[in-house]
Formats: sequence, C-alpha cells, structure tokens
Amino acid sequence: MNTNTKLQTDMEKIDLSKDIAVIGGGYTGLKAASRISESGYHVILVPQHNDADFNFSVLDVPSTEINRVKALENEVANNTNVEILPKSTLVEATGVPGDFTLKFLFADSVIEKKAGAVVVATDTAVNPLNTIYGLNPAENVVSLSEFENLLASQDTKKEIQTGQKTVAFLVGFAHEGSPLLMKRILNSVSETVGMDGCSAYVYVNNIKVADDGLERLYKQSRDNGAIYFKLEKSPTVMQENESLTVRFHDPVIRKDIELNPDMIVCEESMIADETNLSLAKILRIDQGPMGFLQNENVHRLPVNSNREGIFVIGSAREVQSLSQSWTDVDNMVLRVKQLIGDGEKSISAKAVVDREKCTICLTCYRCCPHEAISWDDKAIISQVACQGCGICASECPMDAIQLIDFTDAEMADRIQKAASAVTANTPKLVAFCCQNSAYEAGMTAKAFNYQLPAGLQLIKVPCAGKIDIHYILDALVEGADGVLVLACHHGNCKSESGNTYAKWRINDAYRKLEQIGIEKNRLEFATLASNMAVDFARIVIDMEKRISQKKD
Amino acid sequence: MEPKNVMIIGGGIAGMAAAWELAEAGLNVDLVEKSGFLGGHAIGYTCKATSECLQCGACSVEKMLKDVVGNDKINIHLSTEVENIKKNNDYSIKLKKTAAFIDVKKCTDCGICYDKLKDNDIILQGYSKNNAPLYAINREKIDENKITLKEICPEGAISVSDKTSYEDLTAGAIIVATGFDPFNPERKGTYGYEKFPNVISGLDLERIKRQNGFPARPSDGAAAQKIAFIQCVGSRDENLGNLWCSQICCPYALRTAESLKHKNPDLDITVFYMDIQNTGKSFPVFYETCKNDIRFIRSIPVDIFPAENDTLNMRLFDEAQGATAMETFDLVVLSIGIMPNSDNEKLSAQMGIPLDEDGFFKNSDELNKTSTSIDGIFVAGTAQGPKNIAASMAHAGQAASGVLNYLGVNK
Ligand SMILES: Cc1cc2nc3c(=O)[nH]c(=O)nc-3n(C[C@H](O)[C@H](O)[C@H](O)COP(=O)(O)OP(=O)(O)OC[C@H]3O[C@@H](n4cnc5c(N)ncnc54)[C@H](O)[C@@H]3O)c2cc1C
Ligand code: SF4
Ligand code: SF4
Ligand code: SF4
Ligand code: SF4
Repeated sequence: MNTNTKLQTDMEKIDLSKDIAVIGGGYTGLKAASRISESGYHVILVPQHNDADFNFSVLDVPSTEINRVKALENEVANNTNVEILPKSTLVEATGVPGDFTLKFLFADSVIEKKAGAVVVATDTAVNPLNTIYGLNPAENVVSLSEFENLLASQDTKKEIQTGQKTVAFLVGFAHEGSPLLMKRILNSVSETVGMDGCSAYVYVNNIKVADDGLERLYKQSRDNGAIYFKLEKSPTVMQENESLTVRFHDPVIRKDIELNPDMIVCEESMIADETNLSLAKILRIDQGPMGFLQNENVHRLPVNSNREGIFVIGSAREVQSLSQSWTDVDNMVLRVKQLIGDGEKSISAKAVVDREKCTICLTCYRCCPHEAISWDDKAIISQVACQGCGICASECPMDAIQLIDFTDAEMADRIQKAASAVTANTPKLVAFCCQNSAYEAGMTAKAFNYQLPAGLQLIKVPCAGKIDIHYILDALVEGADGVLVLACHHGNCKSESGNTYAKWRINDAYRKLEQIGIEKNRLEFATLASNMAVDFARIVIDMEKRISQKKD
Repeated sequence: MEPKNVMIIGGGIAGMAAAWELAEAGLNVDLVEKSGFLGGHAIGYTCKATSECLQCGACSVEKMLKDVVGNDKINIHLSTEVENIKKNNDYSIKLKKTAAFIDVKKCTDCGICYDKLKDNDIILQGYSKNNAPLYAINREKIDENKITLKEICPEGAISVSDKTSYEDLTAGAIIVATGFDPFNPERKGTYGYEKFPNVISGLDLERIKRQNGFPARPSDGAAAQKIAFIQCVGSRDENLGNLWCSQICCPYALRTAESLKHKNPDLDITVFYMDIQNTGKSFPVFYETCKNDIRFIRSIPVDIFPAENDTLNMRLFDEAQGATAMETFDLVVLSIGIMPNSDNEKLSAQMGIPLDEDGFFKNSDELNKTSTSIDGIFVAGTAQGPKNIAASMAHAGQAASGVLNYLGVNK
C-alpha cells in the first residue's frame, strides 16, 4: 500500500454510560430491564401510558407461566439496579451512542436522563374489526378479546356452555392476520368445541399456521368437531336485532350455505403502538412498514435500528408472542454488551472531518443514514455511531470528509492503477464494487474460475454511496473502456440509501458523458447480492461484449 | 478466570450465528460440522430480489460465513461428528473425524482435485469463496477411491487414513444446532419425483438457479415458461404424520416466483396451495403484488402425469366450469419443507435431551425455545422446529445469551 496516501488516526479511549433506557413497561420491557440489570448495567425503565392493558392470551402466554411472568413486576420493582420513571413521554433525544441525553415529559415537568443505549419495547395495540364485517358490538357479537375474557371467567363460560351455543368465528377477511392471532382463534375454537353441546364454525381465509404447534391445534379442533369453511371472500354476515346469519356460496356444490349462529366472534387486528411514530422521530430511527419500527432490511435483524445504540425489540418491530419478544430481549442484551462493554472502549474513527475545510453546510448531517453527525462550529462525526459508509464523504461539497480506509488520495491511486493496467487486446473494465455485495460476488466468481473479462479490475468500496461521480469520470479518462458501478439491491443497502446515492450519481454521470461526447454504454449500473457470482460474471461479460462490438 | 470453551454442534446459519456471538463475547468456540462445508442448507440459496430486495435472508448467511471463517476465536472442525459426550463438571467430548479430508492449512483452493474428479462426484465444491477450503471429499465415495484421492492433490492437502481419527475436547456448555432434513419428495410417489425429470424440489430449484441463473428444465436445459409450485409437500400432511407447517415454503415459493417473473415477465406461474403464510411485516402489500403476477389455485393436486416432451399434466378444478380440467406445465416445483434431522435420535440419546412428538428437540421452558432439560445444553435453529434464516439467527443469539448466563460471563 502507498503509505503517504494513508490517513493516520489514533485509537481514542471513550467512556460510555452504563445506564440503559428501556422505553415501554409491558412484559417485554420488564424482561429487558431484568436481563440488562443482570449484566451489570443500571436501567432506566420508562413505562408508557398503555402498558399491560391487555390480557395474557394476546401475548400467547401459557396459563402455567402466567404467574412467573407476573412475578417480573415485583422483581423489577424491587431491583435496586432498575429505576422506574413515572409513565412519561419521550420528547427529546440528543447525543451519541454511549452518551445519549433523553428528556421525558411527566405532567408538567421534564425529567432528564443520560443513557448509553436506548431500547424501545412498546407493545402491540389490539383493535376490534367488527365494523369491517358490518357488525355492531352486541351481547352475541363480540371481539376475540371479549370472547377470550368470557371463556376466562367461570360464570360467563358456564353461560355459553349451558346455552349450548353455536359460535361462528370470522377471521382473515378484514386483514391477513398473523400466526399469533390465528393461535388465539384456534385456542378459542378448541375451547368452544370442548364444551358439551357447543359447536364452532370458522369462516377463514388463509389459516396462518406458521408457528410451532398450530397445525396440530388446527387438526385437533377439527377432530373435536369444529367446522372450517375456507373462503377467499368474506361470507355475507347479517345482524338483525338478536338474529345472526352467515351465508356464502360454495363453488363446488354450487349452493348457498347458511348458518344462524347464536354468537359471532370477530377477529381483531394487532397493530403497532401509536407512540412508535413519535418515538421514531425523536430518536431519529427509521420507521418500518405498518407503523412498526425497523425498516425491512436484513442487516437490521433481529434488534438493530439504523442507528447504533438504539435497539427495537418485541412488538415494537413486529407482531410477536411473548416468547418471541423475549428472544429479542436476549439478542438485545448481546448488542448492549457489545456496544457498552464495561463502560470504556478504545476506538478509532472510520471517517474524519477536516475542520479547516468544513463550512458547516450540514449536508453530511442530512445524508448520514446512521445519524452519526452532529456539530459545534464544524461538523463532528461520532466514532461509535459511524459505520464508515462514506456517503457523507461523497456528498460533502467541500470534500472535507475522508474515510480512513478509503481516502480520496488512495482511491485516486487505485483508480489510476486499475484504469491504466496493461491488458492484451481486450477492453479494460473498471468495476466499483460494494464490499457488502458485488465485491463478494466478484471474488466468488474468481474463486470458482467463472469466465471473466481479462481486462476486468475490481475496486472495493465500503458502500456504493462512496462512489463519487469523479471516480467514474477519472476511470474513463485514465483509460478504462468501460466502468461498472455495482451496488446492493434496493432495500438491502447496509447504509439504507448508499445504492440510491450511487444511482443518482450515475444518472448525473450519464448527463456529463453526453456533454463531453463519451458514449453512455461505457458506464453501467447494476445491483447484486453477495451470493450472485453467476450474475456478476454475466454482467461483466455482457459489458465486455458490448464494448468489443463498439470497438470493431 | 479464563472463560470456558463452548462446543457448537452443526455449522449451519444457527450454529455459525451462535459461534459468532460467543466469540464476540470473548469465548472460545469449537464449531463441529459433519459435512465438508460450513453454511448448512442456506449457504446454497440464491438471491430472490426483484427490482428490490425481498428479504429472503440468503445473503445474511454469506455474511455470517465470512465473519465466522475470519474469527480466530472460532475453531472449526469440518467433516467431524461427536462420538460421545460425558458430563463431569464440564463436558468431555470425543470428536470423530472422517477418514479422508482436505487440510485447510495446505489447500490452496486451486481446484485441481475437483476438475479431475468431479464427474465421479468424489470431490464436492463449496458454495462461496468463504468456504475454506473450497473443496471437500464426498464422504460416501471415500472408500472406493482412497488411492486416487491420495495422489491427486499437488499440495498434499488431501489426507487419507485407514483409521478414523479422534480428538478430545472439553466444553463448559453445548449448543445443538444440527438443523433439519429437507423432506424427501420421493415419499409422495404420485408426484413422480426422480421419475419425471421436470418434477423438481424447491431445493433443486435453488441449485439450478445458482448454476444457471434461470429455471433451466433438467430434461433439456431450456428455460421453463410455464411453472407450477405445489405447496405443503411433506408438511401439514396427516397421512405422513407430519402435523406441522414448515413456515418457509410459502415465503420461498412466492419470493422465487416473483423474482423469476421479474427477470422474465412472460413466465406463467401457478401456485397450488392450502393456505398462504406470511413473509414479513409488509406481507399484505407483497401478497397483493403476488396476486397480480401469479395464478393461485386453492387445492393441492393429487397426481402428476407425464406428457409430451417431458411436460407434465395436472388436473385442476375450474371454478367457472365447476368441473376439473387437465393442464400442462413445463416444470413442476415441489415446495418441500423442514423435517427433523435423522441424527436427532442419536444426538438426543448422546446428550440425554428429549425430542418432541414430531422429532425436533423439545424445549423445557415454554417461554424460551432454546432451553433443554439439561442446564448447560441449549438448542438453536431448526433443530428445535421449523424456522426461516432470520428466526434461526435470532434463536441462535438467544442460545448464545443463555450460554453466557449459564457460564456467568457478563460483558
Ligand atoms: C427448499 C428450501 C428453501 C428455503 N428457502 C429459505 C429462504 O429463502 N429464506 C429463509 O429464511 N429460509 C429458507 N429456508 C429455511 C432455511 O433453510 C433454514 O431456516 C436454515 O437453513 C436453518 O439453519 P440451521 O442452521 O438451523 O440448519 P441447517 O441449515 O440444516 O444447518 C445444520 C448444519 O448442521 C450440520 N449437521 C447436521 N447434523 C450434524 C451432526 N450430527 N453433527 C455435526 N453437524 C451436523 C449440517 O451439516 C448443517 O451444516 C428454506 C428451506 C428449504 C428446505
Ligand atoms: S458536508 Fe462537509 S462542509 Fe458541510 S457540514 Fe459536513 S463536513 Fe462540513
Ligand atoms: S461515513 Fe457514513 S455513517 Fe459515517 S458519518 Fe459518514 S455518512 Fe455517516
Ligand atoms: S433478496 Fe435475499 S439474498 Fe437478495 S439481497 Fe435481499 S435478502 Fe439478500
Ligand atoms: S409454509 Fe406454506 S407451503 Fe410450507 S407448510 Fe406452511 S402452508 Fe405449507
């Protein structure tokens, strides 16, 4: 390596706060508090207004375990390493991983706390869906939660039993649902057919059996007499005073099938907590689909957000049962330990700001996908938060940011060498490859001896977002016949938007090439995953062919 | 006090993820893998992106393999199985290595052995450049070819011995991550798997896509134009006694169908199903896209009949006609699922941890599925029951967390 282009940074020792904030005081939040404190950290537990509003069947806690789960409340309350704030709202979060400052609003006062990491453990909210079926709540038209409560109390259960009720369940037509919802339905159905004289008819779209034990539960309930009608569209449901009718058309026997149940149990939705949205905003983390936290990006799984030091667990990120949420808790504990350790760590920067050059335009602050940038009178990069993607370095109008392992000087050197490498009469191709995807695919193609262009040179970049437009132009000027920019698929960029920046710059580059009269097809953009060696080979060979044809 | 070693049995995604987590926490790990390669089933899968990533998770396995291979706290034992385990204070373990293997320290990944012997299936090639070594000896073919094997490698990296070699190990805790067996579709005789060349399994399709980049028909190598997926092959099957949903076959079939369709919009794809399972939290949106691109038929065909030119006929119910009709496909993909590993009974007896009624490892704590009936032994991944890659990784993290707790390692 050319040593005089290498930037020097020293290991810096930093302190990290051993206080960990847990937002959400449901049974996942409590478990998180308990497990974090076991690891020797101090916990600030911040309950939310709607914690523990719902019953244990929603969380899929087996009846044998309920006491053990409830015991967490006392355990945490008596844990001297857990400080429980009153139910309060997060209103501000500043700072960097290891050293966040959080402000909570409680009544009219603001509570300020320091935290090394923040864990978001909000719960799901449960909503009735009867209106979608055109049903009004009534004594004989209940939601799943209400029915579960009826079964849970001996008195009301007896009423159903002695009434020898015929119960119709409606599920899967108002929304797709989840295995967790399905399990609740199957449990209620089983209990219904388990009562002498009662019968259950289940009108269902896709039965979501993708969890342990559900297919067996489904079969057992059928063996015990439950009848399932699998339909693609909701049956027609009518409610006139006390009288209920459910009707659908059976395409096989070409007949309408009608039932007058004594009772209808209507599915409900399990949705994201409404506070997620504001939490995401304040904590500056990405929101995911359907109001849950965490983008659908495999690099975040299981419990990471786009921001180091902020973790999302349990139903904050997806509808989950308690045992699944507790799997998240254990994974979160690993991440907290990895980040905070014993409160002190030596770390070297991945990216540095040249304070002379920075004009504090804050472009970097706006484009950093990991929220690693803050400022005093100049931009500052947090070493702990920075993931070294280099998006900021490429976007900075003053060229004030350098990546330690990919300085502009080093890159220029590599480009020059690659573009001027001597090759026999074949086109010279320079491929800028993201190290997370295309570079891996390319190296596998090499290891497997796939046919590759003789004149192909790979240049590794930390993220496609690091590929400056002038890298591309330089490569062409220095003698490359073709340039490829190979990024991750949309939605798979470890830095969320690096591939999008790359695509924008490619479009820019096309315009520039047109202006200076260089043919557009000498530049190509494609997306790949690390396991796409065959496709990598095809893309570069195709490029070689196109360029050879042009040359002839 | 020096923290104890941990042994992990099985180097699939679950075993690798657990190993990496423990190594990150400062522990030394012995990762014991029966085959010649790390990565398990999922290292062979293809990317299922369309114009965007569909979160199949396959590339996470590639990433984890790279991290594990590069980690010097993880001691990898390939082509190795556990011979016996004794519990004293710690676990005393005897490992058994196959009689012939390729020495990772000597192999230069030149591929000479593979080029010379691949036609006889003696040398297997790995899936990723991160498989080290990139080649392995097919354990089923060792005995017939001992002499050839010895002489073929110019680096002398192939070790062939007449005796099995053993190695002793102590470990403070054990994670069982031995994964699953894919359902063998020959057990569904009426589908003609292995009889009709263009009836393939979901796993075969992964291999074919990896080699060719498109769904090549085994009979003639031509790109299939009309493809049928049959769901729940071997899963949710009362007759076979398989009373579980494999959880992964709906997601992989839909993602594969969408990604094939993206590459070739003229493809005609039909999915025969009982119930479609979710892919992730944006499933409702994804499912709508699928419904536009794919024909869904809610019935599982009973028979497949061979037809002209190696095409395949199936009877379907036509709702409009209210009758059945025959339809012809180029390629039929059987969406096979996750069965318990056939080694489970042996492992269960070796360690004294019970299996559940389906043959997966039974968790003793209802709220922690990595638990077993023995304190220092944990289970991770599909050894416990069907899971996708992401869930296997999370499960492995939980198992690693359990080990750290058990050994009293904090921070
Ligand atoms: C056709 C098909 C397609 C799939 N597609 C997807 C998909 O797209 N996305 C997704 O998320 N999931 C998918 N899955 C599921 C995925 O394969 C599993 O989630 C994943 O492989 C589980 O990892 P594992 O480590 O538990 O098991 P495995 O992958 O089975 O790994 C187990 C490892 O243990 C080793 N081993 C076994 N027995 C022993 C022993 N006795 N001693 C030592 N080592 C042993 C094996 O050699 C293997 O390396 C698919 C499954 C199938 C069948
Ligand atoms: S983009 Fe560059 S100039 Fe602007 S604030 Fe950041 S470092 Fe300073
Ligand atoms: S390198 Fe990437 S993660 Fe680091 S500060 Fe710049 S944009 Fe943010
Ligand atoms: S589709 Fe699968 S393999 Fe492809 S990028 Fe997405 S997660 Fe990775
Ligand atoms: S995931 Fe789909 S195909 Fe697989 S067993 Fe479950 S329902 Fe059947």
